[in-house]
Amino acid sequence: MDNNNAMVTIEQFIEQFLSAVDFQEPVEVKADTRLADLPEWDSLAALATIVLFDTEYGKVIVGDDLKKCATVHDLYALLG
Amino acid sequence: MGMSTLHNVRFAGMATCVPKRIYHNVQDAPPKIRSERERLARNIGIYTRRLCPEWQTFSDLAFEATEKLLVELAWNKADIDALIVVTQSPDYPIPATAIILQDRLQLPQSIIAYDVNLGCSAYPFGLHLLGSMIAAGAIKKGLLLVGDRSAQEKDPLFSDAGTATALEFDASAPPMHFDFNSDGSGYRAIMLPVGGHREPVEIGHLIAHRDEGGFWRRGTDLILDGPAVLSFSTQRVPPAVEKLLSHTGIGKDEIDYFVFHQANRMINETIRKKLGLPAEKVPSTLHDFGNTSGASLPVTMTVRLHETLAQGKHRVLLCGFGIGLSWGTAIVDIQSAVFPDLIEV
Repeated sequence: MDNNNAMVTIEQFIEQFLSAVDFQEPVEVKADTRLADLPEWDSLAALATIVLFDTEYGKVIVGDDLKKCATVHDLYALLG
Repeated sequence: MGMSTLHNVRFAGMATCVPKRIYHNVQDAPPKIRSERERLARNIGIYTRRLCPEWQTFSDLAFEATEKLLVELAWNKADIDALIVVTQSPDYPIPATAIILQDRLQLPQSIIAYDVNLGCSAYPFGLHLLGSMIAAGAIKKGLLLVGDRSAQEKDPLFSDAGTATALEFDASAPPMHFDFNSDGSGYRAIMLPVGGHREPVEIGHLIAHRDEGGFWRRGTDLILDGPAVLSFSTQRVPPAVEKLLSHTGIGKDEIDYFVFHQANRMINETIRKKLGLPAEKVPSTLHDFGNTSGASLPVTMTVRLHETLAQGKHRVLLCGFGIGLSWGTAIVDIQSAVFPDLIEV
């Protein structure tokens, strides 16, 4: 649980995000990719993202925080 | 109350029964959702589950577990003073399943028998309830039957099981330690919203629609807020376990096994990592038995540990958490207890 959020770049974040959500079909994800456009951005991916924030970044987020995010960058911004 | 310690209560044995019928989360799913089911199974860690056939209930499984346990214990049924059933799948809404089982198991009519309504957190609470009766001195031998029939083909998480645990009065028994918590503000996280008195079943609830996977859904189905359950489990459970350990002064290295409710792999792995526990001390049955609700601690102890626990002396930490919201932890020393092989019917 390294609390080194400030050192995480958006590129590193996207890499960890893709590993966490474990999409069945490979997709290209950029900072401005809209979550709604990712075919497998579903309840499982939401759970995986909550776990990623908690265990990798020591940051507690809830389902409502995710609902407010439109893009991958919005997720990254939750790291604060 | 939070924490408590019971004296003079001996853990005498445990038996677990599951249906023979195996459902595979990927192969048995409709072909069009198999690819997404592969990803789901990988992440929740659940590949096969046990499903009761239509005629079979939780109490049928618990009955088999109890009969087997009593034979191996060589207990005289006439000596049993209490039968506590903890389930959310009773035979009927009323009367209590425990009372029906008194007769079916041919236990004496002088027995205390009733049901308790708890789900995934059931086991430590049930252990404490029956243990408290025994510690108080009036009850010498008691049975705790825990489990649920909550599996459905369409739902990839739940699996069916019935279990029986025997406790008895023993002035030389080591103490059992407990920590309990209940948070009703989260009652909507997992619920059967229809069928009680707030919202009785009406015809409209029974009209089914097909979901994206092709499964029929009804208003009477269970609702489960995944993110809420995940947040609850991973935020509230690790501190509760730490609190009981620190209160009792028992170190993590003095616990032989940490048995957690089998929720799903993401939740269980997050809890394990937050507590800094090695995987070999945290047995899991998610892969083969899914989430068996309140039965998951006995299922895991029977399937993964029964040969170990039947020999020597072992200290286990047992932690149940979920619907309610409700979470409880017990530290129990087990010695010379009876642990029959898994029963399949």
